[in-house]
Amino acid sequence: VNFELDDDQRAAAAGARAFFTGSASAADARRALDGAPVAPGRAALAGIGFLGITVPEAAGGAGSSVLDLAVVAEQAGAVLAGPSLGTAARAAVLLADHPDLLAALADGSTAFAVLDGAGPAIDAAGADIFLALEDGALVLGPGEVSTGIPMDATRGLGSVRLTSRRVLAEDAGARWARARSVAQVVLAAEDLGAAGRAVQLGVEYAKVRTAFGRPIGVEQLRSLVWWAAWAVDAAPEELPLAAAAASAFAAETLERAAETCIQVHGGIGFTWEHDAHLYWRRAKVDRLLLGDEAEQLDTVAGLVLAGGLAR
Amino acid sequence: MDFDDTPDEAAYRTRVRALLAEHAADLVHLDAGEEASDAGHQEPALRRTQRVLAEAGLIGVSWAREHGGQGGTPAQQAIVDQELTRARVPTLINHIGLGMCGPTVVAHGTPEQHERYLARLLRAEDVWCQLFSEPASGSDLAALRTTAVREGDEWVVNGQKVWTTLAHVADHGILLTRTDGNRPKHAGLTMFIVDMHAPGVTVRPLKQLGGQSDFNEVFFDDVHIPDSDRLGEPGEGWRVALTTLLNERVAVGGRGNDLGLSIESLAGLAAERVPQLPAERQVLARQALGRAAVAALANRYTGYRRYTAISRGGLPGPEAGAGKLAGTAAARLVADAGVRLLGDDAVYSRGPDGDDGRWQRNQAWLPGIAIAGGTNEVLRNIIGERVLGLPPEPREDKTAPFNAGSRS
Repeated sequence: VNFELDDDQRAAAAGARAFFTGSASAADARRALDGAPVAPGRAALAGIGFLGITVPEAAGGAGSSVLDLAVVAEQAGAVLAGPSLGTAARAAVLLADHPDLLAALADGSTAFAVLDGAGPAIDAAGADIFLALEDGALVLGPGEVSTGIPMDATRGLGSVRLTSRRVLAEDAGARWARARSVAQVVLAAEDLGAAGRAVQLGVEYAKVRTAFGRPIGVEQLRSLVWWAAWAVDAAPEELPLAAAAASAFAAETLERAAETCIQVHGGIGFTWEHDAHLYWRRAKVDRLLLGDEAEQLDTVAGLVLAGGLAR
Repeated sequence: MDFDDTPDEAAYRTRVRALLAEHAADLVHLDAGEEASDAGHQEPALRRTQRVLAEAGLIGVSWAREHGGQGGTPAQQAIVDQELTRARVPTLINHIGLGMCGPTVVAHGTPEQHERYLARLLRAEDVWCQLFSEPASGSDLAALRTTAVREGDEWVVNGQKVWTTLAHVADHGILLTRTDGNRPKHAGLTMFIVDMHAPGVTVRPLKQLGGQSDFNEVFFDDVHIPDSDRLGEPGEGWRVALTTLLNERVAVGGRGNDLGLSIESLAGLAAERVPQLPAERQVLARQALGRAAVAALANRYTGYRRYTAISRGGLPGPEAGAGKLAGTAAARLVADAGVRLLGDDAVYSRGPDGDDGRWQRNQAWLPGIAIAGGTNEVLRNIIGERVLGLPPEPREDKTAPFNAGSRS
């Protein structure tokens, strides 16, 4: 057993931290609520290669693992970066048989978003083209986006109606499920970064002793995220359980960290100018994306009842 | 990152399994439905079980050879732990000695003490207990009042300890005492090894919430301890005790092990009971099962990470307290989901129609586990101060002489 990042992954985390702290911030997330573009934005993410981390090298990506991506995604989450690396990772799984589309994903020349029925889709605002599952087939096409007033503008949420489509693959149900699990894992990794930062904000502010023991949840979440990200490539049979567990735990952990962060700050934490609410917004939105906690817990229960606790 | 055994680990596991099969006739095994924590009543058989395991090289696996151990790796120790569970061998009778007292003697003992005590501890020739808490000092351990006064080459001990697991069968204990009341409370403490059969030691079992008697109160009336059984320097008792407490928090949940009934046990019960529930109750039961499973998995995988860190030479630090907090929280979710699945039997300690009562026993056991080794509140304080670096609250009692009376 060896449950630790390797030196390359630690170096990648340090590099990602440098990139994201220099290119996105909670202040950017606040400006995005007033209509400014999401930071660092697709072009910058493509430029540093983060949209292609899991895209094969032949298609212009890095050909790396989802675990490698999760390490980067944690740093993205810490500064509330957008668009989500989960969107790119999900699209990379769906487009695996289409090198030309994969190349356009990795180099940022096409903005993909992935739809879950008619519900709000991550990074739909500003996307050029959409991937969807219709009658078991994977389809691709342009669409009309409708959106509400964003709670967390960095997520680019919108509902999409496809205006035309072409079929990329029939009988794509299994690939679709795997792609969705991958997106759950990467989103959970972003939530891990956000939760860690929310705790840090609270701790830095706390001038009096308090039972602010929330990193307990953050470290537990880290374990589930790493397990799930590892399982994507190394133990696919464990992925559905691991992804649902990580997703459910991420929702709860980030929400608690963000709520507590505000509480610890007192009145200042409730102001628009303070960063606390931006993490709170991310928490309130992410907990509902790619299935809410009730759905994830039911998925876990179903897998456990079916004998899924193999390891 | 890899969760599978390395070739070396797999070979070792095979050898451990073979040894456990070879010696099966000489080992106590749990009955169906019996849990590891239920077996404390068969003392002689449990002592023999540990001795047989020790002779087979399966006790003190990661202890140094000079201390009577096997000089193995933490990974090998974890494999033995897993295989003992798999073979349904109950909790080792000397688990307090192996998990807490032994590592403390190793860290702070003299070569003579190592020689005298460690090999016998490993073979359960001596069972050990840990004499820390007192009626007036549990969470505030450093406020303890049991005194040790030096008389020539001996120390004379008077006072009372409480919540002492295994004291009723123990041969030795590590005993934290106050030797200088004129110094601040943490600075006036000294640790000893005490012979539990010495004149003046009286053990009285306490009946627990669940009806069992695993722990005790222990009285010391003019008990004489030779200075050669002092563990660490006079006044250094707090530092010695911290070694014990860190090991305890790792032992209680910090390894990511299940506390009480496992999530697999809950899965088995749920597979049987959930389909019998009305549809709207199934939805709720599945939510509870899912929540418990997620918490238990988070705890288990966090244990793997801590274990990886330790196997690379890291030491258990104050963050082990977080593992204990999370472990007990997960165990409570598992226990509650299990009890609720019992339906009408849940209102009995054992239901009338074939219920074995293990979920109710589990429920009644967990409140104690949540206290042992530091309550949740104490652990949160430790995490706040030592992991997060939050400023401690002003505490006069840390600097004023203990006898001056600030004993809150």
